[in-house]
Formats: sequence, C-alpha cells, structure tokens
Amino acid sequence: MRRRWGAAAIVAAIVCAAAPPLQAYLKLGMQVGDRLVSLQWDRFPVRYFVTNRAVPGVTPQQVQQAVSAAFATWDAVPSATLSSQFAGFTATGPLENTAQTVLGFEDEPSLRQVLGATSFTVDVTTGEILEADVFFNSTFQWSVAPAGEAGRYDLQSIALHEIGHLHGLGHSALGETDLHAGGRSVIASGAVMFPIAFSPGSIDERTLRADDIAGISDLYGTSAFKQTAGSIAGTVRKNGAGVFGAHIVAFNLKTGNLVGGFSLAPDGSFVIASLDPGTYVLRVEPLDDVDLDGFFDDAARVDVSFRPVVYDELIAVPRGGTATHVDVTVVPK
Amino acid sequence: MVRPVAAVAGAWLLCFGAALHATVIRPIEFHELVAGARVILHARVLGVRAQWADGRRRVETLVTLEAEEYLKGQLGEQITIRVPGGQLGRYRTIMIGAPAFTAGQDLVLFLDSSGPSLPFVFGLSQGVFRVVVDPARGAFVTPPLLEGRTTAPQPLVRGAMGRQPVPLAAFEAAVRQAIGDTVR
Repeated sequence: MRRRWGAAAIVAAIVCAAAPPLQAYLKLGMQVGDRLVSLQWDRFPVRYFVTNRAVPGVTPQQVQQAVSAAFATWDAVPSATLSSQFAGFTATGPLENTAQTVLGFEDEPSLRQVLGATSFTVDVTTGEILEADVFFNSTFQWSVAPAGEAGRYDLQSIALHEIGHLHGLGHSALGETDLHAGGRSVIASGAVMFPIAFSPGSIDERTLRADDIAGISDLYGTSAFKQTAGSIAGTVRKNGAGVFGAHIVAFNLKTGNLVGGFSLAPDGSFVIASLDPGTYVLRVEPLDDVDLDGFFDDAARVDVSFRPVVYDELIAVPRGGTATHVDVTVVPK
Repeated sequence: MVRPVAAVAGAWLLCFGAALHATVIRPIEFHELVAGARVILHARVLGVRAQWADGRRRVETLVTLEAEEYLKGQLGEQITIRVPGGQLGRYRTIMIGAPAFTAGQDLVLFLDSSGPSLPFVFGLSQGVFRVVVDPARGAFVTPPLLEGRTTAPQPLVRGAMGRQPVPLAAFEAAVRQAIGDTVR
C-alpha cells in the first residue's frame, strides 16, 4: 500500500481513505477543514524519548537500543529522507499526553491482546502532529537477544512496525494466517506493516519488505526516487459498480517484490505507487480474513463478497509514469 | 499492459508463501474470543463522548450503548464502554487500530473489564463485529467469522467461497454454540 506518483493520485487516495475524518491504512490522513492532509513529519530528526521502565529480561537501556535500531532501519531506506534522534529517558509512559514522543512499556488492561500500538495527538485545525507515542505491552514476554528467544516476542521487530505507523504508514494486508481449533497463527507476510503478530521467537520482521519501502518512499521519497518510480492506477468493479476496500497486490515479475494497495473510493478506483519500473501481475482479493477496523475508518462499507481474480494481462509500469488504466472486474461469491 | 498472464500465477503464489513475518496484535480465533470476553452483546451506539482520563494524562472516548440482546453476561439496558483516543477541542488523539464508533451503529461487541473501570472491547478491534443491513437479504455481520474447526491448521484463503458475512441470527447462534462448547 503505497503512494507516490502524481500528486493527483495521492490526493485521491487520501480523500477516499478519510471519508470520516481519519484512519490508519496506506498512509494515515485526516481532514483539516476542507483539506485532506497526510499524517507525516515535516521536521527532522524525529526526536523521541524512551520510558525508563524495565520488563523481565529487558532493561530500559536495551529498550532504547532496540528502538534505536528500528528507527535506524527506517532511516536507512535509500529512497527516503528520514532521520531520528534519541532525546533521553523519561518517567512518562507512552500512553500519556505530554507533547513528547515517547516509546516504552506499559500495562493497560484494555490493550491486553495488543503487543504494541501507536497513537498520535494532532491539532485538527492544522494537521500538525503534536506527539506520536508507541506503547509496548509489558504483560507479554519480550526479548532483545540478537538471534531472538523462544517464547518471547522480539522487541526490535515490533518497534519496527510501530515506528512505521509513527512515520505515517497504515497497515498492510500482505499476510496470510491459518486457523485451528482455539487458535490463529501467521504463516506468511510480505510487509512489516502487516498487523498480526507472528509467533514469538522470530526475528524475521527486523527487515523491511518491498511494500514497506514503497510506502515510506511515497511519504518521504527523495527527489531522485520520485522521478523514477512508477505506478498502477485502475478501478475494481462488481456488477458494474465500484468495489470499496478491495485489496490489490502488484507482483513484480523480475524482482518478485509485492506491493499492495486498496480501492479507496465508491467508484472502486485505486493507485499503487512507488513501484519499480517493470512488468507486473495484478491480483485483486477481498479482505475477508482481517480485522477491518484495523484498516478502514468505515469498516462496514468494505465489500468482502467477491472472488479473487488475477488480472488477465501483464502490466508494464514505466519509469516515472503510470501504467495504462487497469479495469478489473470481480465476480460476486 | 500486454501479454496474457496464466503462467505466472503459480510463481506468484510460491513467492508469496515463502516469507515469514509478524507484528502488533496477537490474533484471536473465534472460540478464544468467545471464551475470553466477559460480555457479548448485540447493541446500538447511542452516543460517543471524549474525556480526559487518569488525571488528564490521556484521552479516551466513552461509548454509550443500548443493548438489544446479551449473548453472554449482563450489564443492563444501557451501558458505557471506553475506547482509546478521542477529540477534545482542537486536539485529537488517535490510536492506530482502535475501533471508532458513531451514533446509530449496529454492532455485536465482545467486551472485557478490569476492576471497577468501565468495560472495553476485548482484543482492541478484534472484538467488534458490525451489523450491516442488506435490504434484500436482511442483517449480516461483518467481518466474516473466523472459526477454527479442526486441530490441524487450515490456511485462510482470501475469497474462499465458504467465507461470507454471516446472517446476524447465524452469528448469534454460533456464539451460543461456542459458549456451550466452552461450558462442556
């Protein structure tokens, strides 16, 4: 889920995403008066504090090291211009409104099933981010071991996801899960920004994927990147009407990279931006296996009753341009 | 746009299935959701109101609900729950992934509580199911039910024919069945 390409497409995506004033998917955006603005930082480095609070097996210093490593991973994306700076330890918890950006552990009963969460406080008259905090749930078992630790969630991995939100990215739907009696597990993912936790012990998610890199480059892309990246635009329709909330995945035949997007308007239009030029296959599928509130403000509008389809033509994404408009027709279940 | 695509579909699936990874929420299967929630109800949102909490240290939103039917537990005809974030004056606090409610919404909610504080949604937004009325087919619950029926893991394939928004009555029956399974 990424945007970069023409300004018009970016605006269109946000307009649709922000039907009610705000939400978390693709890029985070909100309505400011009659304008729609994306939630993103305009001053760098992003200065952050770390809560001076330990959990079993992890000291505050280790929290800071894991968080700093995660920030550094985002900062190192060559096609984006980001920077961050550790500002010090604080006694403040991450769920408190303090006008400081704080990351740290806390125990909040209403978030018991949540490993980590990011919150923003925004001035709705200007769209300015006043603070963005990241909560890590102290009731889980955590690890900062370089190779991970059985039975414990990797703090750096979770921090990498949350810092993606902190920079303005929403959730990606590039992931698969399986079900068994009494449980559900992640079996595959193509993005750090996929919202469901993988089993404890894994450190695979310390590494950004193509989808994450496309997203962050859309928000903070270098001028050189913006001149070379391409995009795919189109519509998804069912019975002649636009489909809202379809998941569209672009698969690069040369690199094997996957980048996802969504149809975000009543007419079913979509844009997948920040793509490497090349040849792509497009798949359209319903989001019928996810917690829709984690993606959309208006979850009840999302159409999940159609069959997935692979678009029957290859799509050539030009350097610095947009592929020919793609019209995808899906069939009701 | 050119060339037909059939041959690449297999390569696509292989590629997608190769990578492992994770983050954020611990996913909850339906039976676990039923067992873990202290209260399950079908309700309509009457109103929402943001307020300061914890001595003005954080913002939360109080959601007042009119209960239509309790499937588990009992909290009265009108109840208030709390969700993270909300707007006070010109400042809005947003927690990514937290459910947002507006007056008039029709919902099935899985709730939990802790001590004397107000109830909250179990599993952040995983405990929220929205009731959508289709004029032709009646009331349906979305997202579709994710129910693990066997001990062997069954991959969730997007768009599988069997997975559809469930009629409200069938959803409620499934909840009652799961409660019965838990009791046995």
